[in-house]
Amino acid sequence: MHELGIMIEVVKQVEEAARENQAEKVEKIVLQIGEIASVIPHYVEAVFPAAVYNTMLEDTILEIEIIPANGRCLKCGKVFSLVTQNGICTCGSEDFEELTGREFILKEIQIS
Amino acid sequence: MSAIRVIEIKKGIYEQNDKKAEEIRKELKSKGLFLLNLMSSPGSGKTTTLVSTINQLKGEMEIGIIEADIDSDVDARTIDKTGVKVIQLHTGGMCHLDAEMTRQGIEALDVEGLDFMVLENIGNLVCPAGFDTGATKNAMIISIPEGHDKPLKYPAMFKVVDVVLVNKIDAMEYFDFDLDLFTAYVHKINPEIQIIPISAKNAQGMEPWFDWIREQVAQQKA
Ligand SMILES: Nc1nc2c(ncn2[C@@H]2O[C@H](COP(=O)(O)OP(=O)(O)O)[C@@H](O)[C@H]2O)c(=O)[nH]1
Ligand SMILES: [Mg+2]
Ligand SMILES: [Zn+2]
Repeated sequence: MHELGIMIEVVKQVEEAARENQAEKVEKIVLQIGEIASVIPHYVEAVFPAAVYNTMLEDTILEIEIIPANGRCLKCGKVFSLVTQNGICTCGSEDFEELTGREFILKEIQIS
Repeated sequence: MSAIRVIEIKKGIYEQNDKKAEEIRKELKSKGLFLLNLMSSPGSGKTTTLVSTINQLKGEMEIGIIEADIDSDVDARTIDKTGVKVIQLHTGGMCHLDAEMTRQGIEALDVEGLDFMVLENIGNLVCPAGFDTGATKNAMIISIPEGHDKPLKYPAMFKVVDVVLVNKIDAMEYFDFDLDLFTAYVHKINPEIQIIPISAKNAQGMEPWFDWIREQVAQQKA
């Protein structure tokens, strides 16, 4: 599990953005995580309290939006869910181009 | 109480790392220093491969090693015996290296005059694949006991590597590793990958690997 080290980096980036915008407090941060990203939302939530310990994010609410993993079939061109269909298009082909799902984005911060 | 403001950031969290990695790659190119990121599961033979490689090449180029496999200095001491420069990174239980750690390694090692440097990454086939270390090229080792279906289980790793060493071929007869099938799986993910079967322990089959390194070192200075 590598979420802690990664979330410590996220906290640093948020603190920097908060300072740039003269924030007194960070009320909430919103992350977007792809379904097949290298971080797992459940673990991100679990390590968040440790990552914000002794930082200006100690009382910040964490919100996570999940981005579905979609692929385009290289045979028939249809866009399908890589996760629910296990990487296999309804036409039977397993060759696809990945479109979404590996995102890990700091979407917004809410400050006061 | 002051009003809450929403600040849109919309920035990939890895962008910072990718930027740093790109800077490192440029700097290495300007120094003519080839940095290889070496990855594998624990025990596939990274350290053994490094020792055999160093022993063969240290007479023709200046080599340095950044050790990060685990926090202990066992691997670093093994490398130290070969007489090349080595530094142990303290990764604090992390499961992958990132560009910042590479930067620390480069600074600690004093790379002036080096031609070839290797980052022995942390033993793990999942996390290191997702993080650009700033290395010039990426290689991974898979060993015969691990089985030929690894590319099916860890496709992300095979997307980022340039060379795959298939190690411990001296133990081929005891396992059902199918090299042709393995090659087919790998090339389905990435047809560019060069696959080199070796026995690191006996320094066998390693000539194509040495040649690949020589070529990369020369290219980096071109
Ligand atoms: N039979 C055999 N054993 C090997 C070979 N290369 C490495 N080993 C053994 O595999 C174990 C792990 O090797 P090591 O280099 O420490 O792996 P690392 O964890 O990836 O650095 C050691 O006991 C080595 O002696 C090989 O080519 N053949
Ligand atoms: Mg090792
Ligand atoms: Zn299809």
